[in-house]
Amino acid sequence: MHIDWFVFFAQIVNFLILVFLLKWLLYGRIIKAMDEREAKIASTYEEAIAMRQHAHDSGELYDKRLLELQEKTDEMMHKAASDAETHRRELMSKAREEVDQIRQRWIEAVAREKTSFLNHLKQRAGKEVYAAASRILKDLADADMEKSIIKIFTQRIEALDNQESAAIREAIRTSESGVFVQSAFEIPENLRPEINRIIRSYGASEKAIQYETMPEIVSGIELRTDGYKLAWSLNDYLETLEDSFSHAIQEGMRERA
Amino acid sequence: MEIMTIDMISPDQVIYWQWKFITINATLVYTWLVMAILIVGSWLVTRKLSKEIRFSRWQNFLEVIVGSIREEIREISKEGADHYLPFIGTLFIFICLANLMAVIPGYVAPTSSLTTTAALAVSVFIAVPLYGITKQGAREYFKEYFRPTFIFFPFHVMGEFSRTLALAVRLFGNIMSHEKVIAILLAVTPLFFPVVMQALGLLIGLIQAYIFSILAMVYIASATQAHEEHAQE
Repeated sequence: MHIDWFVFFAQIVNFLILVFLLKWLLYGRIIKAMDEREAKIASTYEEAIAMRQHAHDSGELYDKRLLELQEKTDEMMHKAASDAETHRRELMSKAREEVDQIRQRWIEAVAREKTSFLNHLKQRAGKEVYAAASRILKDLADADMEKSIIKIFTQRIEALDNQESAAIREAIRTSESGVFVQSAFEIPENLRPEINRIIRSYGASEKAIQYETMPEIVSGIELRTDGYKLAWSLNDYLETLEDSFSHAIQEGMRERA
Repeated sequence: MEIMTIDMISPDQVIYWQWKFITINATLVYTWLVMAILIVGSWLVTRKLSKEIRFSRWQNFLEVIVGSIREEIREISKEGADHYLPFIGTLFIFICLANLMAVIPGYVAPTSSLTTTAALAVSVFIAVPLYGITKQGAREYFKEYFRPTFIFFPFHVMGEFSRTLALAVRLFGNIMSHEKVIAILLAVTPLFFPVVMQALGLLIGLIQAYIFSILAMVYIASATQAHEEHAQE
């Protein structure tokens, strides 16, 4: 076994040439490419981390805003519900007030109608009672109704107690306009002196006594001066009748309701 | 198609052309062939290198090889690999390809010549002090030969020579003997068994390339690191 020294040195040279060529063609280029790729991957990775962080931040911001929006929505919904409830109560209150007003107006209208009807009935009943009573009195006693009324009136004036006598005297004394004897019918002249006598007994002068016919009194007679009134008429009885009618009407309304 | 006869130990004996002391034999021719394949292949792959994430399979192949060699060097040297990569990497790639191509009929591995392995071993023998001197300076490097005392100087020198000789003979012996075994087996049992032996030959070739380059790196690293350790002391 021998060594060819030319080949030996040639192989060394060959090897050195190969080292330099591979260093130039292979290692340098490959390592450069690898390093650049590593740097690129590292930068891409850093970029990805930054983007991920950014996405995470954005996500958190979005969640926060979503939460705020939800809170705001809840608040608005709560406020809307509260406003709606308030508005509903106001409307209910207003509606109740309107209903109450309508009811009140209706009640007032009914009351007015009742009053009007009762007034009408009272007048009508008074007239009828008066007419019937007059006819009955005429038929039974052959007496003049008006005379009876005057008689009862004069008896009542004479039968006044001390307190009322004092009151009527004081009224007549202080009166400036005089004493009025008002009746539903014309008092006959022949009966007037008797009435005048009785009134004068309370301090009135003959001239101050004046007679007036007032159809609305229905049937009866009244003594009126400033601040005092003494009356007897069918109104008293008619008022009793009115109370009975009013009671009957209310009963009827309750039954209808 | 046999280049070498069974009685030829080395491809050096296959001489194609000779003029005076200049001899062109099979060792040189097949060395040039391996060199040409390496250089042209590297040029073809690296002329269009991609720096993007997507790149060619050939580039990937070369990157894996270069990356693995770098990693091995880094593990042994405990420092940057790029300084040693051209020398160690070329040793490994050249020996590896020279050995693996032995499966091609008509090819003779240049590493089965003691001339080639001796040339490579001498290259290592020269490279070790060069790297050491480059790293630490000539004074510091040669001081190592006299440690712990000057008595050890001859042993250091003998060690250097003996390990260089071992490098050369180990590679030559393995490859040459394997080729001879294959040739003998082909004569004795022409079917199947030589195929298995060829496969084993690929493994041996790869291992020998690895051993040669790793040992070269270990020698370089031990030289530089030993100097560093003493420098630290």
